[in-house]
This record gives sequence, structure tokens and C-alpha cells, in this order.
Amino acid sequence: MFGALYAAEGTDHRVLETVAREFSPRIEVCSPREITLDLSGLERLFGEARAIAHELRRTAADRGVQVRVAIAGTRTAARLFVHHRAGITVIDRGSEAEMLASLPLGLLDAFGGSAPMARARRGTRPTTPNFQPPTSQPESTPTETLRRWGLRTLGEFAALPSDDVAARLGVAGVEWQRVARGEDQHPLVPALPDERFEQTLELEWPIEGLEPLSFVLGRLMEPLSVHLERRDRGAAVLHIRLYLITRTVHERSLQLPAPMRDARALRTLALLDLESHPPDAAIDRVTVAVEPTPGRVVQFSLLTRPLPSPEQLSTLNARLAALMGEGRCGSPEPVDSWRPGAFAMKPFNPGSGIGDQGSGTDRIPNPGSRIPTTALRRFRTPISARVRVEDGRPVRVEQRGLGGRVEVAAGPWRTSGAWWVADEWNRDEWDVALGDGVTYRVFHERLRTHASEGEAGRVSPRPRSGEGGWFIEGIVD
Amino acid sequence: MFAYSPLGEHMANSALAVLETALRERKLDRTLTTSLPPLERSDPAAVIPFEIAAVDAVLRGGLPRGQVSELAGPHSSGRTTMLLQLLAAATRGGEIAALIDTCDGLDVASAAAAGIDLNRLLWIRGASSGRVLSALSESKDRIVDRALKALNLVLQAGGFGVVAIDLADVSPRVLRSLPFTTWLRLQRIVEGSDMACLLIVPEPLARSAGGLTVMCTGRTTWNDGRVCRFTGLDTGIRVISPRRRVDGSAAVRALANDSD
Repeated sequence: MFGALYAAEGTDHRVLETVAREFSPRIEVCSPREITLDLSGLERLFGEARAIAHELRRTAADRGVQVRVAIAGTRTAARLFVHHRAGITVIDRGSEAEMLASLPLGLLDAFGGSAPMARARRGTRPTTPNFQPPTSQPESTPTETLRRWGLRTLGEFAALPSDDVAARLGVAGVEWQRVARGEDQHPLVPALPDERFEQTLELEWPIEGLEPLSFVLGRLMEPLSVHLERRDRGAAVLHIRLYLITRTVHERSLQLPAPMRDARALRTLALLDLESHPPDAAIDRVTVAVEPTPGRVVQFSLLTRPLPSPEQLSTLNARLAALMGEGRCGSPEPVDSWRPGAFAMKPFNPGSGIGDQGSGTDRIPNPGSRIPTTALRRFRTPISARVRVEDGRPVRVEQRGLGGRVEVAAGPWRTSGAWWVADEWNRDEWDVALGDGVTYRVFHERLRTHASEGEAGRVSPRPRSGEGGWFIEGIVD
Repeated sequence: MFAYSPLGEHMANSALAVLETALRERKLDRTLTTSLPPLERSDPAAVIPFEIAAVDAVLRGGLPRGQVSELAGPHSSGRTTMLLQLLAAATRGGEIAALIDTCDGLDVASAAAAGIDLNRLLWIRGASSGRVLSALSESKDRIVDRALKALNLVLQAGGFGVVAIDLADVSPRVLRSLPFTTWLRLQRIVEGSDMACLLIVPEPLARSAGGLTVMCTGRTTWNDGRVCRFTGLDTGIRVISPRRRVDGSAAVRALANDSD
């Protein structure tokens, strides 16, 4: 026994679907306003079919939805009746063709127009019951053809010999004839509800600290991971909601770099994040939810070394971030600036940059020669130093723990920029070799003169001791 | 007066075999000469080359995988230049590399100029160098401790071709105060893996039996023309290895990075 619900125009399809799901898990959404559902077995709960139909209408009305209800032995018959009559229609099993016989032929248009015929021309088989007519070909609706034959009702069409219908209208014509008889084209294909990948655990006693929480998270992640695996899904975003005894919710969201569903990796990532952002009170309820995304399809190569999996890299990144601090781990990235030492950090994701035109490999000055270039060990915060200058050249560098007499000095190499913002630089750089054999890069921070002292932006041409300041930028190594 | 006895020699050999077997069973065989890798590193996949012909010839192919090696030397000796060359060679070969930069001294421009594929480099930045030089020894200990923990995490994660830790700016006194088991533990983690672990240190430290200890000495070169210019760094490479299985020296000339 099947039922069909047909809602008034403007009805929220989600409400209609909710009403249908309250009666049967096997529902098929035909259109935003129309749902068919399998009502088998509901007689024991509600009684006869008419009682079920009344209950359906009452439930829908409680939700603010006005629906037509039709119940018949086949879905096709129920759909045709629900389009034809308002209110409740109940057809006894086995009498569908007889009851449909008097209905007008135009119902076929409402049911689905010429889709079977169009399919027949394309040589495809029907896959869904929702026969939507192509609006661009209104002249091909079967009803127009049938009317030209002098037919007016479904019964008249159903009574035609099937062989003759097939000879004139093809396979699609026979399909339409079966519709006119109220026969189903295929079994009901239940629509799956939107799945929620969420697990919640109410705690008998509030817990404090991460150690007990790790067990709770492990217990929640395991079924979540199994659920994701069964659906071939991976977690794209992990949401953790901790309901605290202070009636507040501590919520964290982790954007995962790749879809993953390994319970241990997810638990570790959640714990590492909570280590950095702990809740400020005891927890009495824990909810873990994930936003699913299609699982990864990985094709390994025999020709390249395997990279660590995204789960391993994510866990490693999270552990390193917890140890070293946020923003201290990742891949360096040169920036488009002349500022000495300028760089940016980006998340370490070795798989993403392979083959990029901007990768470091493309910037090898002379890749065939393999002649190394000298490296600088940079003091991220330049060290202030005392430098004695004679004839405009540094002759002695002194700093606590290092320094000495300058043996060789090359410079000054002048560089400046960003003078239009507060974070400007303006310096003279020197490469100096000291007596201890160490070569430093030092610079003299040049002071900008004010407009009252001369031309705006003009600087003194030569560094003098005591003006600006001297700094050690790094060591050539 | 002792007389030669074949029976006594046989007993001694048997006892030695039993002892070696017992040590191997307990994984305490690192002190046995028989457990060292063969002299000739014939398998190119077992090493990571620097892609500098003179250096690779001395190292018999490059740094051995699954071992802890060291690049030691004072400031301006070319350690960092050699490190960047190794990282560049590894990333060019499609591997990923990690650098634990204890004192945050990496110059990104130098790394890019060396040819490192920066997408394949995991850079873990410790405290800034300026802080380290001026900080108290207690805080230095903490900085080094944190860097070693990071090194452990990276090695345990696996999958990297080269994992290097830069301890060059840490004073030898602080490094010597670390328990020697620190380096044994590192050796235990990397052995049997495809990773080469490299320490950049001011003086030899770990003395790994299977790894290499490379001493660097450097001299900067200058052009004394009309305008004095820094032109490059001549680095002398000398391999010191326990039991002198790999020994030799080479000279490398690095050119000044004009983009600086």
C-alpha cells in the first residue's frame, strides 16, 4: 500500500518530508510538493487506510501544511489520484485501473508529460519516477497525440492494444499506457535522509583536564570514524562542543587540510587544539561533529618516494604548533619585497606545490653547475652593536660575546624602502671580516632628516658613529 | 710461559660469538665493528648526495640514511652553506625535508638561492637568534630542549628524507651539558629508516658509529679591486669518522649570493 502527498504551492519541502518520515522511512521525493511513501504495515498502528490518510493530513496540518492525500495499491495510481482530487482519496487494492479509467487524459501531463517518449527517442531507460517534461518540446506531449486519436480518458488509452500503441508510439507509448493503468514502472527508491555525523556523550560527573577528556573523545571518535568509513566520507571540519558546568559552551572548530577519518588522528588533533585552548570549567557534555566530504582517492607512484599521509602531517603540524607556538612551523615563502629578510610562512603541505611554477627549483640561478652560493645566518632581530667608524668605514665592531677589529670591509650597500609607511627601512649594509675569521653583515640604520632640516627625505651621505645605530644582521656561513 | 693451544683459541672464538649474539639480541651491538655499514656505499639509494662532486666523492656518495651525521665547525666555516645544499639536493630529488631551526637563523633568500624547493621544506622556528645570544643559560637550555623535542616528533613521524637540526648558535657548553643518551636515542629512532638526521653543531657531538662527522673550516674571499667586494667562501671539508672508515678532505668554493 502506497500513499501520495501533494502539498499546496509555497510549502517548505523540508516540512513535507519531515511529515512523511514520521509515517514511513521509505519515502520518495517526486517534486518539492509531492512525496510518495510506502505505508505497508501501518494498518496495525492506525487501522484501515482511510484512518491512515486522516492521520497524515492531521499531522501535516499540525505542521502548518495543507496536503492532499491519496492511498492506493500502486504509487502511480496514488500519484494520479492525488493530482486529480483534493482532500483524501483511498482506492482499494486491485481496483486501481478501474477507478482510474474515468480520469481525464490530461493527468498524464501533470504526472510527467512526454518524458517517456523523449527518453525513447534518446534510447535511455527511465531511472526516476519524476518524469519532468522538457518544456522546450510541448508539442511532443502524448496527450495531444492521444487527443487527436479521439481519446479523452485514461481508461480509453489503457484499453488500446499494447502492440498497436508500441507500433505507433514506440516503447515510451507502452510506458505511458502502463501509467494510465496505474502500474508502477519500477520499485520505490527510498530517499536517504541527510546524515548527521555527530556524537554526543552526557557525562554523569563533570570532568576536568585533558586526560579524562581524551578517553571521552576516543569513545566518540570511534563510532564517528566507522560511520564516515561506511559512507566513504572523510571529515573536512571537526567541531568540538564542550558544555561546561557554568552553562556556557566551549566550541572549537578544526579545519583539516585533507579529508580524514582515522579516529586516533582526529582525537589527537582535537586534544592538541584543546591543549592550546583549554575550557575554563569542568565539562558535563561533549559533542563531536564533523562536516563530511567525499573520501580521498590516492594513487601512489612507483617512481617517487611516498610522502607522509595527510593524517600524519596534520598530527605532526598540530604537535609542533603546540610545542613551538602558533605560526612557528610551516614552509617559508619568499615575498615580493626588497626588505632585507622579508619572508612569509605558509602551512606545510608538500603535495600542493609539486609542479608549481613558483617553486624554489625554478629559481636556481644555475642549476647545472651545482656551485653553491653562500648562506647567511640571520639574526631575526638584529643585534645592536658598537661600531667605530674611521673615514666613513667601520674599523671595529663590538658586541657582548663577539666582535673585534675589522680586517676587511666591503660596502656600503645602500637599501631603503617603504618610506611611505611607518615600517620603513633605510640602511647602509657592510660585509665585514673580523680578526677572529668570522664574516658579519652589519648595517647602519640611517636617520631621515626632518623637513625643517632640509629637503624632505634627504639623508646624511655618510654614516657617523653615534648617528642612527649599528646592528649585526647576520653571519656569513 | 704460555703454549699455543688450538682448543683455547676455539673456546675464545666461541665465547666471542656468544657475546656478540647476546649483544645483538639486546640491540646493544652498536659498539661492534661487525655491525658497522660496509666501507663502500655502493647503493646510491642509501645516501643523500650534496650534489657537489668533490664532497660526494669524499663522503662516498653523500650522507648515509638511517644514521645521525654531523656538520661541525665555527662561524663562517660554511656549515650553513653545506646544509642548504643538502636540503636543496633532497628536495630537488622529490623528497621532503625538515629543518629544526633552534635559533631561527634561516635566511629565506639564501635558501631560495640555494635551490631548495621551499614547498617541500618543513621549517620549525625556535627562539630568535638575538634572544639566544643575550639570554641566560637557563633559557638556552629550554630552547635547546624544545628543539630536541621537535626533532624527536619529526623523526617519529617519518617520511622525511633529511631532518636537520641547527644547533650552530648554541654554545658548546650548553650542548656538552646534554646527556649523551640524547644522541643515542636519536640514533635509535632513525636507524632502519630512510631518513638522514643531520646535526649542525659548533664542535663534534654525537659521534655516531654509523654516521659521518664532517668538520668544516672556512675562509671568506674578497675582491680587492677598485671597490672591495665580498665574493665568496672557501670551505674545507674534512671527514672524521669513528674507526676512520671514511676519511678524507675536499675544498668547496661557494659564491656570494648576489641577490642579498
